[in-house]
Amino acid sequence: MNPDDETLMAYADGELDAAQRAEIAAALEADPALAARVAKHRALRAKVADAFAPVLSQPVPESLRTAAAGTPAVAPAAADRARGNVVQFPTRGTRAPATTWRAREWFAMAASLVLGVLIAWRAFSPVNDPTLTASNGALVAHGSLAVALDGQLASNQASDAAVKIGLTFKARDGSYCRSFALRDGGITGLACRAGGEWHIPVTASADAAGGDIRPAATSVPPAVMQAIEARIAGDALNAPDETKARDAGWK
Amino acid sequence: MSSAPEEISGKMVELLPRLRRFARSLSRNQHDADDLVQSAVERAWRHLDQLKPGANLGSWMFGIMKNAWIDDRRARSRRGEVALPDDSGEHPAVTPMDANTSLWSVSEAMDKLPEEQRLAVALVLVEGLSYKEASELLEIPMGTLTSRLARGRTALAAALGDAS
Repeated sequence: MNPDDETLMAYADGELDAAQRAEIAAALEADPALAARVAKHRALRAKVADAFAPVLSQPVPESLRTAAAGTPAVAPAAADRARGNVVQFPTRGTRAPATTWRAREWFAMAASLVLGVLIAWRAFSPVNDPTLTASNGALVAHGSLAVALDGQLASNQASDAAVKIGLTFKARDGSYCRSFALRDGGITGLACRAGGEWHIPVTASADAAGGDIRPAATSVPPAVMQAIEARIAGDALNAPDETKARDAGWK
Repeated sequence: MSSAPEEISGKMVELLPRLRRFARSLSRNQHDADDLVQSAVERAWRHLDQLKPGANLGSWMFGIMKNAWIDDRRARSRRGEVALPDDSGEHPAVTPMDANTSLWSVSEAMDKLPEEQRLAVALVLVEGLSYKEASELLEIPMGTLTSRLARGRTALAAALGDAS
């Protein structure tokens, strides 16, 4: 089999369907030259993505913030929650119509806790680098957290990095998930890839952690570990697979 | 439920880091990139009525940015402006944040790509859109997107010394 370069590129980008993917994977096994071409595609992708990634965490000029706000910015309602403990957030996929009293109440409670956590995290982040924002009922990683989730490898990170990546694994729904810990704020959480973003289904205060559960992980609180166990398909990725997944854009 | 302007306002501000990154991948330096972001968000507010209910604000903004970028290039070429050759040795727009110089070298290589290849590369490689998302945003068939992306990558790899 001699796949053309566009097919190899699509394979490297995670754009092929399962059948095509299996076919190319078999061809790569048989032909190191093909495998090298795929590796080049991934290396170039990572190089280009990494080059522009720092822009995300740069301070946004005030003039742009004003222009983007369009109208006088509405201050978010102040809530005086210093720190959320354990919060399970609904994901977009599981957002059911709020027809029962229980669902409504639960959603409202989660939403108020989201706000509390957001405020706590913003307090620890530079003003122009919000780490998390709520969007359509999901908590979405932004700024330095998104940059770290996009590009940082657990196998190669500074011991004092602002965001530490723990486990990276493939979830049962096929998406990638990564656990993380924020240096400032003592917050640990899980991020899962959805629609080109990192959604945060769970966070917990890291000082509630019961010690290292897995060697590759940072100190993971039980709630985060439960969320991992509930999602993980097979094992966590090893370093080469983590690199591969990163280079393929977490698709 | 249509979004209130306040809600749009907050979301638009949240989008700024990604808009700046997309703009940076289409521009020679951060200054030009921020001008592009500025003109895109101004356009967006002027034409807010064209945002369909339920549409994704991010995709809409990326589309506006793409159009603003293309319009700006057309206007410059009508005015007879050519891209300034970068003969200064050190790139003045490179801040200490770009210390590894990869932003500079990749940006230079991107700048040499034809418009349509640059858009494909920016959306897929920099912004991480899927081929489908990128082709919809650029309003081109997937096959066209794929071939532009492949050609763009080949040119970039050559310019960057095969990117290893």
